[in-house]
Amino acid sequence: MGDSDDELLSRVAAGDPAAARALVARKLPRLLSLAGRMLSDPSEAEDVAQEAFVRIWKQAPKWRPGAARFDTWLHRVALNLCYDRLRRRREVATANPPEQADEGPGPDRGLQALDAGRRVAEALGRLPDRQREAIVLCHYQELGNIEAADVMGVSVEALESLLGRGRRSLRAALMDLKEDA
Amino acid sequence: MTRDGMTPERFETLAEAFGGNVDRWPTAERTEASRLIAADPAWTGRVLARADELDAMLASAALPVASGALVDRIVAGAPRARPRWPAWLAPAGLGAGLAAACAAGVMLGMQLAAPQGGGEALMTAADDEFSLYLDEGAG
Repeated sequence: MGDSDDELLSRVAAGDPAAARALVARKLPRLLSLAGRMLSDPSEAEDVAQEAFVRIWKQAPKWRPGAARFDTWLHRVALNLCYDRLRRRREVATANPPEQADEGPGPDRGLQALDAGRRVAEALGRLPDRQREAIVLCHYQELGNIEAADVMGVSVEALESLLGRGRRSLRAALMDLKEDA
Repeated sequence: MTRDGMTPERFETLAEAFGGNVDRWPTAERTEASRLIAADPAWTGRVLARADELDAMLASAALPVASGALVDRIVAGAPRARPRWPAWLAPAGLGAGLAAACAAGVMLGMQLAAPQGGGEALMTAADDEFSLYLDEGAG
């Protein structure tokens, strides 16, 4: 069994390059998954992952083992970075509104040709941010309901409600696409 | 959930929120859910199958893959072990070592030269040499 996150962080803080590489191998795929699904943009997801690691490197010497779960802290950091970017996007969209409003999926928009994965990613991207966040944390990041609620700063009941609404919207969106196909 | 066990409504709510795999439902509710499944496998099976269908669709979304270049960029920013000499002092450290070696040579030379009475001249020459090494070392 490999080192725990706390052990790896301690070695990272001491300047051990092998520990840094091991931590990147362990956490980067999950960070990319989280940011990629929150932002629907692989390039921005890479930027978020890189910024999250800058914070990890700064935090490593100050990390107190056992005081908090590293994964929970890391998810919070990455989500905050995602929300910064989503906020900036909204500000840009408000300042420069598109000439034509997005009418959503329709039978003539060529969505039939998209593969299932892309259809899901698009439907996920159209969800309200908090519903998307709940689904990303519970379904893709596989956090338990208590940890996901903790990361989001909501009650477990509120998390359950966000998940239920998000999944119902996804089902409706994906069924529509299925009928169009 | 009621005192008599999980209601069908609660079962549906949990399937809608957490999907068709009961192992991913809240830990505190799994036992009651399993009892309801055992009591009514047909109905619970339909509810779970419907939730499974959406789970499968969600799973089809591609997972972003980390490029080697991204990994290298991130690792390059990691903390590094501090050298025993700060980097800017390293040349001076080398110079100091050389200077110490020179000084030892000078002392030896003085001891050998002193009985012949030419100590002062030797000392002057050695001082110049000492300074030369220091300059080179520090540069």
